Amino acid sequence: MSRRIPLHVVDDESSSYYVSERKVYPREVSGRFDRLRVAAVVWLLGMFYLFPWLRWNGRQAVLLDLPARQFHIFGLMFLPQDFLFLSTLLIIAALALFFFTALAGRLFCGYACPQTVWTEVAIWIERWCEGDRNKRMKLDASPWNREKILRKGARHLLWALFALWTGFTFVGFFSPITDLARRTPFGWGGWEAFWILFYAFATWGNAGFLRQQVCKYMCPYARFQSAMFDRNTLIIAYDPMRGEPRGPRKRALASVLARARGLLDKVTAYDYVFRASQHPSAADNRAQAGGTIVLAGAGVSAEPLPKFSLEQMGDCIDCTICVQVCPTGIDIRNGLQYECIACGACIDACDAVMNKVGYPKGLIRYTTQNHIDGKPARVLRPRILVYGCLLLAFIGGWIYGVTHRSPLIAEVLRDRNAMYSQASDGGIENSYTLKLVNKDQQPHHFVIEVSSADMPGISLRDGSRAIEAQGGEVVSVPVTVSASSEVSGRHDVQFKVRGVDVDAQATVNSSFFGPSL
Amino acid sequence: MSRRTTHPPEQEPTPASLQRVGAILWPSFFVAGVVTMVFFAYVDPEALQQMTFPSLKLSRELGYSLGFFLIWLATASASLFTWILLRPSRQVRRGFHPGSKS
Repeated sequence: MSRRIPLHVVDDESSSYYVSERKVYPREVSGRFDRLRVAAVVWLLGMFYLFPWLRWNGRQAVLLDLPARQFHIFGLMFLPQDFLFLSTLLIIAALALFFFTALAGRLFCGYACPQTVWTEVAIWIERWCEGDRNKRMKLDASPWNREKILRKGARHLLWALFALWTGFTFVGFFSPITDLARRTPFGWGGWEAFWILFYAFATWGNAGFLRQQVCKYMCPYARFQSAMFDRNTLIIAYDPMRGEPRGPRKRALASVLARARGLLDKVTAYDYVFRASQHPSAADNRAQAGGTIVLAGAGVSAEPLPKFSLEQMGDCIDCTICVQVCPTGIDIRNGLQYECIACGACIDACDAVMNKVGYPKGLIRYTTQNHIDGKPARVLRPRILVYGCLLLAFIGGWIYGVTHRSPLIAEVLRDRNAMYSQASDGGIENSYTLKLVNKDQQPHHFVIEVSSADMPGISLRDGSRAIEAQGGEVVSVPVTVSASSEVSGRHDVQFKVRGVDVDAQATVNSSFFGPSL
Repeated sequence: MSRRTTHPPEQEPTPASLQRVGAILWPSFFVAGVVTMVFFAYVDPEALQQMTFPSLKLSRELGYSLGFFLIWLATASASLFTWILLRPSRQVRRGFHPGSKS
């Protein structure tokens, strides 16, 4: 006998992904990865802010001229007809993201993402105006006074200027920037002003206020990047076998690597991490690591760690500087977390601390999960090879396509009103409109000819036509094709367009109609 | 000052309604941007205008912007619809209250 089991869905109060965000106060850090990120910021933002001002052959080097539907990029001109190149470029970008994510995790997030890059600049501004982490926290906690108003005011003023300049530059990619600058600000057109302010507002909000929330809640890549990870992917990881049990020490102690204790076994080490996360030390509490990681099922609790003897201690001195420098405010010691944007700030911070206490670097380091777990790791694996080959193929195809573009597109439209007409000498005539697109930046001359396999006497009524087309111009050429009066029924015709002063040729097929029999 | 005081001050939670507005507007904005790009890569706003409202005087810039906002409206409607469908049953029973917690 079957009985209904009295089940019902428990309405989960915390069904939302969203948690109220604490403000993160990233501490200043210096080291290898920080230098790398600064270099990336300078390079990428340099390109962004500089490119619209560069000139190329007397015109703006990078100008996406939407009103004219022409896209100038360093001497190359693209038209909407070249959309294939843009879509291929987007496919290449997606493949590159897959490839680099599988290889070395979120390199894009840590160094190249506009969100990271602009946030980095916003944090620099914040640091100049309000000082480093501790000073900023104190300032935020302090009552409003003259200093607080001045410091915060300066920061907001600089942020606003930076955001407006960013918005202006962005629109400068679409509207000639020197002209735009001359018209600042009252000569701006309505849409120009709108997009400048809109982009400035987005920069101000995203880089100044939302910051890591953009990565955690808004970015789709952050949500699916884990699908591209495997145990051979380079990640930023804390080595619990070496670091645990963590804790401050009163007197000098050699690294575990030089002591009899050596590395812990995996199970013990991860158990210590779990218990430390369940029972945070006073220092951990002060650092207030955020993050959504759950190291065990709901309701699982653990005993606090016992007091360890000095000889048992691991290399982590629990200074929590890795937490303080983290721009997303997580504790990397809890393992790989989806909030981690792989910026490497914790590696730099921990290396500096290890240096200070005289331990070898690399307690937190770029490594693979397999390495950490002491298993063999392989960089060259099938998915890397497949992504890599696909990427190379697409890049190769794209470069070939762009360098071998025909400077000419031709299309032909038959006159819709009349099938044919009869000329005064009795010949049969058909009318067409040829659409020629000169995709080059220079003007070119083209010649139109017509031929047919089964109508030898066919010709253009006014002889072969010579057409001049400006760079990027779409020319409509009405042509009339004449044939002898004996022609009847449907015939294939071919229009040949070739460049006079350029190596370009296009053949278009159409039909010629005479009176039906 | 001792180091003990240097912990981040508490932040006021973001209101649930703001999160909801963000979750509806942001993905629709993103998709609208992509759709606008693909659409206008193939369709010239001027040609579209001649086909639809030849009597109105619309520039290309206006056409692009108008197109974007119309597409955003469409995608945002879809997002809003999804949100309505996903509302927990207890809330539906209580009726629509814009201020209620989700």
